[in-house]
Amino acid sequence: MGTENRKNSMDELLKVEHLAVSFQTDAGELEAVRDVSFSLRPGEVLALVGESGCGKSVLCKSIMRLLPEKARIKSGSIRINDTDISAYKEKEMQKLRGRLFAMVFQDPMTSLNPTMTIGAQIAEAVLVHQPKLKKEAVQKRVIELMELVGIDRARERAKLYPWNFSGGMRQRSVLAIALASNPEILIADEPTTALDVTIQAQILDLLKEIQQRLGTATILVSHDLGVVARVADRVAVMYAGKICEIGTAEEIYYDPKHPYTKGLLRSLPALSRGKETLHTLSGMPPSLVRPPKGDAFACRNESALAIDYEQQPPMFRVSDTHYAATWLLDERAAKVRQELERREQAESMPKEKEEKIQKIDGENTFSDLLLDVRHLTQVFPLTKKLAVRAVDDVSFQIRKGEIFGLVGESGSGKSTVARCVMNIYRPSGGQIIYHGIDTGDRIAVRKNRALLQQERQMIFQDSASSLNQRMKVADIVMEPMKLAHRRPPRGSYRAEAAYQLKYVGLDEACLDKYPSELSGGQRQRVAIARAVSMEPELLVADEPIASLDVSIQAQIVNLFRHLQREHGFSILFIAHDLAMVEFLCDRVGVMYHGRLIEVAPCRELYRNPLHPYTQALLSAIPLPDPKRERERKMTEFAQKYETAGVMVEASAGHFVLR
Amino acid sequence: MKKNKVWYVTKKLLIFVVSLLLLSVITFYISRLAPGDPLVSYYGDRVEKMSTQERNWAEEKLGLHEPITVQYVRWLGNALHGEFGISYKYKTDVLEVIAGRIGNTLILGGVGFILIFVLALLLGVWCAWYEDRLPDRIVCRIGTVTSCIPEFWMSLLFILVFSVQLRLLPSSGAYSIGKSNDILDRIRHLILPITIVVLGHLWYYAYMVRNKLLEEVRSDYVLLAKSKGLGKKKILFGHCLRNILPSYLSIMAISVPHVLGGTYIIETVFSYPGIGTLSYESARYKDYNLLMVLCILSGAIVILCNMIAQAINEQIDPRIRANEMTEESEVVKQ
Amino acid sequence: MRFLRHHLYDGGGEPEDDLFERNRKEAFENAKIEINEKSRESGEALKKEEHNDAFRIVGIQPDTTALAPLKKKWYKDKPILSMVFLALVIGGCLCCDLIMTKNPTYMDLMNYNRAPDREFLFGTDTMGRDIFSMIWYGGRISLFIGLFSTLISTVIAVVFGGISGIAPQWLDTLLMRLTEILLSIPNLLLVILLQAILGTANVVTISIVIGVTSWPSIAKVVRTEVRQIRSSEYVIASRCMGGGFFHLLWHHLAPNFVSSIMFMVVMNIRSAIVSESTLSFMGIGLPLEIISWGSMLSLSEKALLTGSWWIILIPGVFLVVTLLCMTEVGNYLRRQVNQKERNL
Repeated sequence: MGTENRKNSMDELLKVEHLAVSFQTDAGELEAVRDVSFSLRPGEVLALVGESGCGKSVLCKSIMRLLPEKARIKSGSIRINDTDISAYKEKEMQKLRGRLFAMVFQDPMTSLNPTMTIGAQIAEAVLVHQPKLKKEAVQKRVIELMELVGIDRARERAKLYPWNFSGGMRQRSVLAIALASNPEILIADEPTTALDVTIQAQILDLLKEIQQRLGTATILVSHDLGVVARVADRVAVMYAGKICEIGTAEEIYYDPKHPYTKGLLRSLPALSRGKETLHTLSGMPPSLVRPPKGDAFACRNESALAIDYEQQPPMFRVSDTHYAATWLLDERAAKVRQELERREQAESMPKEKEEKIQKIDGENTFSDLLLDVRHLTQVFPLTKKLAVRAVDDVSFQIRKGEIFGLVGESGSGKSTVARCVMNIYRPSGGQIIYHGIDTGDRIAVRKNRALLQQERQMIFQDSASSLNQRMKVADIVMEPMKLAHRRPPRGSYRAEAAYQLKYVGLDEACLDKYPSELSGGQRQRVAIARAVSMEPELLVADEPIASLDVSIQAQIVNLFRHLQREHGFSILFIAHDLAMVEFLCDRVGVMYHGRLIEVAPCRELYRNPLHPYTQALLSAIPLPDPKRERERKMTEFAQKYETAGVMVEASAGHFVLR
Repeated sequence: MKKNKVWYVTKKLLIFVVSLLLLSVITFYISRLAPGDPLVSYYGDRVEKMSTQERNWAEEKLGLHEPITVQYVRWLGNALHGEFGISYKYKTDVLEVIAGRIGNTLILGGVGFILIFVLALLLGVWCAWYEDRLPDRIVCRIGTVTSCIPEFWMSLLFILVFSVQLRLLPSSGAYSIGKSNDILDRIRHLILPITIVVLGHLWYYAYMVRNKLLEEVRSDYVLLAKSKGLGKKKILFGHCLRNILPSYLSIMAISVPHVLGGTYIIETVFSYPGIGTLSYESARYKDYNLLMVLCILSGAIVILCNMIAQAINEQIDPRIRANEMTEESEVVKQ
Repeated sequence: MRFLRHHLYDGGGEPEDDLFERNRKEAFENAKIEINEKSRESGEALKKEEHNDAFRIVGIQPDTTALAPLKKKWYKDKPILSMVFLALVIGGCLCCDLIMTKNPTYMDLMNYNRAPDREFLFGTDTMGRDIFSMIWYGGRISLFIGLFSTLISTVIAVVFGGISGIAPQWLDTLLMRLTEILLSIPNLLLVILLQAILGTANVVTISIVIGVTSWPSIAKVVRTEVRQIRSSEYVIASRCMGGGFFHLLWHHLAPNFVSSIMFMVVMNIRSAIVSESTLSFMGIGLPLEIISWGSMLSLSEKALLTGSWWIILIPGVFLVVTLLCMTEVGNYLRRQVNQKERNL
């Protein structure tokens, strides 16, 4: 991975210069990509990182000219081997696509044609640029490609339809299609975002392996700095349509210069281990309809300079490979820079805070039992003969004031548990006892209906669908209070709603907005405000952060932490990966295929995972540390783990399925 | 697998028969509950001069004196033997009356339907290809206007222009008097009615094809196909059109009765001797036996078409066959 | 720069003075080496006085550059022409007494079948009635039938579709089968039979007949909408909070599905007007004496023989243009709903 090596082969495969792309929207011209320049050398992996809406996807699509008709390349050039292709016509582009560059998309569930077999779709990609190939030769190539991307039993599976495949297998098929004509550049647009953690690691390793074997130059787009550390040679960080910092992976991870890069890195949970609150980036990215005239990050930067609001920073050179666009690198900002470094040092100094946490952990003072789930089983009938056992004999307890995390990949039954706890589903077996009330007992539930409805509140994963699009935010927040006929403590319902919004960090101006006018993070805050307004005892949060950006995730997690401290309510927190959970939860349970396989206090679980699945999950948490990540061999996930057995107490409070 | 198929077919047949029975009950009761004198259609004006005795005798002869339920059971028994009674108006066997006319309707409806089927697909693809550009906009505009014109008025307009003013085409009947075997003459008589059958329905289906295609064009797999290097034509025909075909087929199957129903009105305007005019007469003048057969006939077509549509949905489109489980889903036997 | 130091000593507290100075110098050296030519050029553009001012930490400041989003022009994408014309037709029909030049029901036997002229703006029909007056007078009835029968069919459809959407699987299947069988009776026959049961045709009975026969298509839409909304997360959330059936109906179901069936309703008005005119034209709808756009056209077969084009053309054009405007409005409503969904 020597950089000297690269310097010699400076011939650039792809060179993008001052590219600007804009969309025509109702609100005006949206400048999705603003003056972006970068280059890609043969055989390297360039990671393009940024939050959603920063223009990284548009940038990739404009290279391949897959933009919708409303988009327009305003200026700049895209050079491939020194020929400018930005003015090419559609016909000429068609010849380049597939052979010169190919793309892998985010969602493998929708990017394959559902009515064609996988084999036919790969064959089609092979035939595009070799139309005269004989049938047998095509078939051979299809099998070869499928084997290349790690699909075994390729001959049989070529005849299957996409819906016969799991998410990971579909993404492999998409990769096979992309590689069909040996492209020189592979553009992977968030190839792992829609996949489970376990599969994410496999696909990333596969990408790296193929890239090394075939020498394909790769642009890897991701919203998560942690994910790309393992595979990227160079990293470009995008913000508000611009590249704000670009450099080798080592430079970006060990010596970030731009405050945004620093902020992104710090808000990764892996780096906040042992701290009390996650570091967050406040605020949201600015609108790109009329972007700010200065540095777009200034309005979220606690140490923004006055000039940041006035003038856009140019790209400052840090080293031959490392450039960053921040005024902090200007020579006149030397003193400021110095001062900021000191502050950072002071911050990173370990303080007594850590001990505090340990105290909480050690005391384990949660004594009163709030929720007791005993042998919960939920079976969903599919047809008359078949059924899915979504939850199988799950038992756990939540004490008052405790945050219990439930972790597992999609389809592991964790959401079903949440819905059973909230009485949305009627469990097929087992008991759920809340506050001494058996929630499976209809009479007991009827008697305590008001109490149960007030004390248990739920937050859903998708805030867009859990808020009625035709109700104003004020009405949404007021709904539970009105339903419970609670007298608003702050005079009117509206005043109460305003108070609750302020409490979760939203402006009062949101009251009269509709959910569609808010961003994802803001909508999730509204959902939290709605739940919190009833002062519940138990908050059930079903993947509340899964659909949010990393920096926003940290904000929401901190909010949960804060709420729990202030009110002392218990939270059943459901997530699909272990990274954020560590930060928030007191105890964690891991689910796999409907079974609860391990329950332990948080620190204990992370220090001493016992079940092989938990171990694999933990090892899949990406570290924002390229050197260690490259060396580390990821724990391979087994095809299937044993789910039979009983829970055994391995040490105090630490249960594992054996 | 084979056993499943047999069961599938028997189940469908059973539903078909039960639906037909229900349909016959409903029409039987509604038609008999409706006021009006069926004797008028049998005896014409003579009914007014009949004495009560004669009337009773006549009713008894036609089997109209008994309670409705008894009448129905008798009718059903006869029908199962293939005897549907005689038409009061034409005084011959109902099936004969229908047999003489059904050919004309089938030609009109059948040719119209095939034309609609093909043209709608072509027009829809054409519009989707030129989405939001001039050709699409022009076709959409014209289409919207034609879809707003009631069929009967369009017929009048065409007769006014082509028959009355220009004297190009005949305005009524299936053939000129004395030329019932002249095929050219028959075709000349068919041109106007078929044009109207087609124009009346075409845009509805073409617009549907267009919208379905546009929806399909916006799906993610099109992007992947494009990034493979496929051209616009190949994507539109090889992927998108192929994906909407099952649903188009099933919708067109359901549309058969609509098109046939449309011909009823057109037949009346053009005095075209088909099933449409016949059912109109039989309902107005209480020609019970004829009415029942016609209702059962058209009902059978409707139900059959619905079933075909369902079968297409279930059997042809692999997406709906997805009940065969995916590899990783956890399935246990209950 | 004094500000900076001050801040540091108070806030950080720990670092010693000389250490600070040393670090500062080092940093300055580093910066000199690392910063490239380009920045120096741009830096020179700034004046010396600005220098100190521009490079100080100001932290997060409210975004002053962000402006309120452009307001869309109110008439954009709206079918203005259709809406104006529809308003004119409806207004004209409502105030027909002011517009009519003749008594529409008076049969002027001296002037039958007259081509349009100054006295009879749109001519007279075969019975000597003034077509111009009849159009406004009859339009009132046509529009009323359209609205009234749509009201009937919408009510039936909402009740039926709503029940089917909320009901358990078996009841839903049963109800849907039933609609299918009802649909399989040819519409025309059903109308004739119903009309016979209800007795002689008048405005109310024909509305009922049309309303009762045209609800299934709306009911199907209502059913799918209800099913979709019912399983949506905001309804589950509301149920968890203790929202009862009527709360859900009023606050969640109704607002969400009204907008999505509006299109169907407008289209139903349109097809009801078509049905009325078709029925009247065929002689099973309104009799000649009750003037509507349909019954006016029922004279057209006689008109064909005499070649009096105005009897066929003028009421028909009015009818078609009105229908066209309704379609445009309906399509606009549909676009509205779809747009909302896409923005989510």
